[in-house]
Order: sequence, then structure tokens, then C-alpha cells
Amino acid sequence: MDRTELTKYLLDRFSDKLQLLDTGKAEPVFILKAENLLEFCRTIKADDTLAIDFLCNIAAVDTGDLFEIVYSVASTKNRIRFDFKITMPYENAEIDSIQEFWAGANWHEREVWELFGINIRNHGNLTRFLLPDDWNQGFPMRKNWDAPDFVRMPEL
Amino acid sequence: MEIAGIFKYLYEMLAKSGLPQLAVDLIALVASALIVFTFLAVTALFLVWWERKVSAHIQQRFGPMRTGWHGWLQTIVDMIKLIQKEDITPATADRPVFFWAPIIALTAAFTAYVVMPFGKGLIVSDLNIGILFIIAITTFTIISLLMAGWGSNNKYALLGGMRSAAQVVSYEVPMVVAVLSVVLFAGSMSMMDIVNSQAKIYQWYIFRLPFGPIAFMIYLIAGTAESNRTPFDLPEAEQELVAGFNVEYSGMKFAMFFFAEFVNLFTISAIAATLFLGGWQGPFLPSWMWFMIKTLFIVFVLMWFRWTYPRLRVDQLMEFSWKFLLPISFANLIIAGFMKYSRWFNW
Amino acid sequence: MTTTKALHTEEFLVNMGPHHPSTHGVCRFLLTMDGEVVVKAVPYIGYLHRALEKICENRTYPQCLPILDRFEYCTSMSCEYAFCLATEKLAGIQAPERAEYLRVIMLELNRIASHLIWFGTTSLDLGAITPFLYGFREREDILDLFEMTCGQRLTYNYIRIGGVSRDVPPEFIPKAKEFLDKFPAKIEDYVKLLNENPIWMIRNQNVGILPREMALSYGVSGPVLRASGIKFDIRKDDPYSIYDRFDFNIPTGKVGDCYDRYLLRIEEMRQSSRIVRQALEQLPSGEIKTKVSANFKPPKGEVYSRIENSRGEMGIYIQSPGDSKKPLRVKMRGGSYNHLQVMPEIVKGGKIADLVAVMASMDIIMPEVDR
Repeated sequence: MDRTELTKYLLDRFSDKLQLLDTGKAEPVFILKAENLLEFCRTIKADDTLAIDFLCNIAAVDTGDLFEIVYSVASTKNRIRFDFKITMPYENAEIDSIQEFWAGANWHEREVWELFGINIRNHGNLTRFLLPDDWNQGFPMRKNWDAPDFVRMPEL
Repeated sequence: MEIAGIFKYLYEMLAKSGLPQLAVDLIALVASALIVFTFLAVTALFLVWWERKVSAHIQQRFGPMRTGWHGWLQTIVDMIKLIQKEDITPATADRPVFFWAPIIALTAAFTAYVVMPFGKGLIVSDLNIGILFIIAITTFTIISLLMAGWGSNNKYALLGGMRSAAQVVSYEVPMVVAVLSVVLFAGSMSMMDIVNSQAKIYQWYIFRLPFGPIAFMIYLIAGTAESNRTPFDLPEAEQELVAGFNVEYSGMKFAMFFFAEFVNLFTISAIAATLFLGGWQGPFLPSWMWFMIKTLFIVFVLMWFRWTYPRLRVDQLMEFSWKFLLPISFANLIIAGFMKYSRWFNW
Repeated sequence: MTTTKALHTEEFLVNMGPHHPSTHGVCRFLLTMDGEVVVKAVPYIGYLHRALEKICENRTYPQCLPILDRFEYCTSMSCEYAFCLATEKLAGIQAPERAEYLRVIMLELNRIASHLIWFGTTSLDLGAITPFLYGFREREDILDLFEMTCGQRLTYNYIRIGGVSRDVPPEFIPKAKEFLDKFPAKIEDYVKLLNENPIWMIRNQNVGILPREMALSYGVSGPVLRASGIKFDIRKDDPYSIYDRFDFNIPTGKVGDCYDRYLLRIEEMRQSSRIVRQALEQLPSGEIKTKVSANFKPPKGEVYSRIENSRGEMGIYIQSPGDSKKPLRVKMRGGSYNHLQVMPEIVKGGKIADLVAVMASMDIIMPEVDR
């Protein structure tokens, strides 16, 4: 199904949970509320028209005002690919783990925790892995992170 | 020149000169040992260079080219480098064991040459238990492997040493049974007698079908495993976790292990040439030249194996020896016995 | 384990450290072993973490391209292309025809070069040292082609936003055709050396079997996924660039063991040669780059675009704030990240020599994992 059909299908099915944030560029992007995450994942995995069996990527973004976590999913059976994201404020940022649906989410979520400081509930193994074991200088990927040797390039 | 045994020759020559008995004994012994040692030192140097060249050409590159014409001085240069390296013994190592392991390895490797027939009459001492002596002496290398593994006080060296020892012990058995089928035919264990029984080319044991080629192949495969070469070089593999029993050795001690490995390679090939390819028999050329040609041919084949095949995993290696080679070698022995008894192929 | 009074055995911890000739890059495994058998394997990564994503937030879009080169340096062209694809989708730029053909040629040549590295290092890990040199001999020809075009052998900075940076010189096409003519014979050499070799087969067959469901669940992609039986290739199932104009097959495996992965990648090298040959024949003349302004500011939006890299799915997620020359966020996703995550599951219960074989056959390299 192409993107207009996909968008229509998803908005019909999940009208109360999803909200379209489409810039018309590539695959459709939706906004989801954090409390609906697990239910949504369960449904899209089980649904036959969608059959989402492949989690491509989990990216966390610090937009300056909010945190966003963007999930990119795809289906290997039906040619479908879309993204959905969850926004949250900086204080007490936390999200549920979706590794019960796609086990590959484990390391992606661990990285999100390590670099951004967003807590992942029910993960089970939130330990350091990309940064050194004795890292105590905060969460590097946040926009307000600073370090003595971090040089911001000037606007050209 | 007909020499019936180098040691016997030297002994008789010195006895005629009228020196005291003790001096005659000592000089004859030391001289024979020195002759063998020199020959082996030169051969090992040559073999190291040759291995590097053969491997390079198989891999489409040149190998050592700078030290002398086509790099023939490379081994000497490497030896000089190894001699002047610091000899490190780990602080927690078991000193006497650590010290004696390479010496035992080298001694065992050399002692096998007491009964090696280099040419017509060119044998240090023609013991009547020739081949049995060689097999018994080469099992000393297992002791040196275990000593190296234990003495290093290193988890990985111990694992490597134990794996090595297990491999060598497992492959001894089919090798001995293959050799036994040749001894059965020759009727004697003396190396000179075995060579003499292959006087014509059709009498070479490799051509005595059906047991000859099978025994030869079993011997060659088991021999590769004995000298820890690919495809059986898991204990020494750099790509595996344990680098082998000689991981803690440096400098001259490492050079001794390295040296012993190449001497072992030459021993395996020399025995293969003697037992199966007719030893020093051959027309026109002097006998020692035929011996060298045949042995170096087998050495080349073993080197060819090394640079072509991947390596076996340790359990596959053991399975191959006990479940495949050993039954075949027993069957081979039975066929050889039948052939000898029935006098069918006894030409 | 027997229940009689057998010898008391203990499990012990072995560190397969970051410095190790067989791990592809710097990766550490902490293995719990019971004799020769691996009971548990825990990977420790981060030794090659260069904070590329943070650096990209601090660079303009064209300045990000050399950074992306180093994301996965064995297939630099693919990384650059993934980034350019994402940026072009964001900004609505379309590269000219000739540029698209040149991009495809470079991508597929890079895929062959990467598979040759894989072939060499896999044989080396299993003890057959000679194929390593044979693979690198062929790779030299490909690197000569790259050097002729962009001056570099490893990190190219060739594929730019809107096209490619320079045109191929006139001697490129005959030299590429010469390479393609002699390459199938070389692949036959490799096949003859290893395919039916009994030692190769017993080291690789039924070793490291990755079941289909586990593969999908862990996000495994590329040749490893196809070896497990799922016929999914982004070039055919989610096409990008002009791949729909070429005729090529997607090999698929059955069992998902190391031997299947080996056969699959050998076949992929042949298919890539086919694509390059077709692209060379159809190469049109024309512009090689769409003009992109010096103050390139893509509009506000976000995009996740993925391509089929030689190691799996390579995805770049870019979020653009709209009024800045620098991206707000660049997330790089490499295939090896998920493959390394699934490795402890499939080496459990195997021997340590099998761990080496599995890691080699899954073609994991650390720059993709660590960034």
C-alpha cells in the first residue's frame, strides 16, 4: 500500500491515539501519546494488513524544548514503512520498553538511556556500553551538555 | 663411498689410531652428534626460508627479497634477532619446568636422527629397532608441550598445551599402525633393512596396492597433526583465543621451540620418504641426493597443505582421528597381513 | 553432565579482549565457559565510539559527508549515499540521471569490495590464509577504479548532496569492464578452493544457526536475514535510486547457518557484477550534480531513509529545524549493531572456535556498532 492508503488506514484504525505530523516528504510520521505505546505496538504487530515485524530504528531527539523518541518500523511482508514518535518534557523523562515485541529494541533503548538520560521502564539491563564504564559527565547528546573540550563550530 | 654406519666408521678409524678407549668412544660420539646437529641446523634454516617462499608464492606475493638473493639470509637474520632478545621468564612461572621444556623439545627432535638413513651407509647407527626408536623418541615432544603449558603458569598456555598434547597423542596411534603395516612387509624394524627391501621402484611401499597408498596417506595426515601444522594447528592458531603453549616464551627459548617444529617437519617427511618412497634408492645420482629430493618433496606437499586448507575445530580433529583414521588403519593392517601371508603381491 | 561422582568441573571466565586478531575491529567478549563450550557471551562495545552523531549536529550538511564516510569505512559510498538520500528527500532535490547511474556503479563496486574484505577475513579466521590475499588482490583493482575517480581508496567523499562530486575519467569505463570480465573467473577460483572443501563445510554447516523468528525480532537485516530464509532486499522491496531499472536476483538461504551466509555473499558478488555491467552499458551523458546553494537550508521536517548496505540495512534519520544550515539530529543505524546484539543468543552452547566462525560470517564490523 502506498503512503496515502497507509496514512488513511492508520488514522482510521487508531484515530484516538495517533496524530499525523506529515510534511509530505517521505514516509508518514505520526505522533503518539506515551501511555498508548505498548497497546499500539501490540496492535500493529498483530494486525494482518500491517504485520509490522521489523523495528528499524529508535532515535531520541533533543529539540531544545522537548525530548522526542522516534520509532521507525517496517514490514517485510507488506511493503510498509512509517515512523511514530512520542514527545515528553525534560523532567522525569521516561518511557516503556518495547523489547517484548521486538527484541532488537534492547540495545537501541539502552543507548537512548545512556546518551540522553531518558529512563526506560522494564528494560532490565540499563548499563553503560558506548561510553566508558566510569563516565560521570552527564548525558552527552543533550543540547545543554557541555564539556571543557567541546567546541561549538560557529555559524558560517 | 661405502660407510656402514657413521658411528661405526669413526669408531674403527679412531680405534686404529691407538688412542685410549675412553677418548675413542668420546670423540666418536661427539663427532657423530656434531655432524647430525650441523646438518639439521642448516636444514632447518633452509626450511624456514623455504616455507616463507612457498607460502608467499602460493599467495601471489614474493616473500623475503631483501636479505640476500631472494632473501636466503632471512633466517639467519631472524635467528640473530631472536638471540639478542631479552629472555623473560614470568615471575610466577614454575622455573625448572619452564626452563627444561624447550630443551627437551629440541633434544627429542634431534635424537630421532640417530637412525635416519641419509644415504647408502650414511646412518649414524643402524639400530635393529630403528623405526620403533624413532616413534618412541618423538613421543617425548608431548612431555615438552605439557611442560611448556604448565610451567608458564598461564591459563591460556595450559589450555593450549593440553589441547596440543591431546592432539599429538590421538594421532600417534593411527600413525604407528600405518607404520606397522610397512614393518610387517619388510620383516624388520631396522631402517636400513626397510630401505633395502625397496630396491626396485615397483617395490616401493607406496606402490604396493592396496595397502601402500592407504598407509602412506594415513601416515601423512597423522604426521601433519604430529607436527601441529594446518589443518591441525588449532593449538597454535593466532586467530583462536589461546595462542598455544609457547605464548610466554621469548627470545632463544622461543627460537628453540620454533627450531624443534621445523626439525619435526623434516623428520616426518624423512620417515615418509624412507618407508614409502624408497629412501635413498635411485639411479644416477648419489644416494644422499635422492634422499634429500624425496624428503623435500614431501616437505613441499605438507607446506602446500598448510597454505590451502582451513583448520579443524578441536572436537572435529579428535573425531577424525579416533573414528575415522584409526579404523581405517586397522583395516589396512589386516589387509597388509593378508597380503604378506598369501604371498600374492610379494614381488 | 553425568550424575555419578564425576570429576568436579567449574565454569570459568575468559576475556576475549579488544585486542584480538579475529574480532573485526575492537570488540570485547566476556565468555563464561564450561571446558570448550560457551555458556554465556556478553559483548562489551564502545571502544571505537567517536561521537559521530554529536559531531554531525555541529556541522553543516555538506560538512557532514566526510563524517558519514567514517561511519562504516568499509562501504563509505553507501554511508554517504544514505545521508544524501535522506537530505535529498527532505529538501526535495532530485539528482540528474548520470549522477544516479554513477552512484549505482560506485555503490555496487563498493559492495563487491566489502564482500571481498569479508571473504578474506572469514577465511583467515578459519585458518585458510591464502584466500585472504586472493580477495585483496581483486579488491586492489576496485580500489584503483575508485582512486582514478575521486583520488581516495577508502573514505571517498564522492557522493554529494544533489549528485556526485566529479565525473569519471575516460579510462574508467574500459578499466571497469576489464575488471568485470575477469572477476567471474576469480570467483570460480574461490568457489573451487572452499565450497566443497570438507573442512570448510564441517566448520560452517550447522554452526551459528539463526532461526527466522529470532532474526526478524532482533532487527537483523541484509545477507544475514536472507540466509535465514526471508527474502527481503531493500533494493527490490523498498526501492531507491534507479535500482528498478536493473535486472538482478536476490539469493536466499534456507537454514541460516554460516555456510548459507557464505554461499549467499559469494552469489551477491556475482549479482553486483551484473548490476555494474548493466549500469555501465546504460550510462547516459549529462550533468553530474544538481546545483545546491551554498547556504543549503532544508525545510523543517524529519526523514528516516534506509538503503541496502553490504552488511544489512543502513538507516539515517535526520531531523532538520528548518532555519539552520546544521541538522538538529542525525541518527545512524548500521546493520552490525543488531547483528552483534543477536550474537550471544546464537553462540550459546557452541564451542569457542564457533564463536569466531559466527562473528566472521555475520560480517560484523565495529565502526558501525560504535559510531
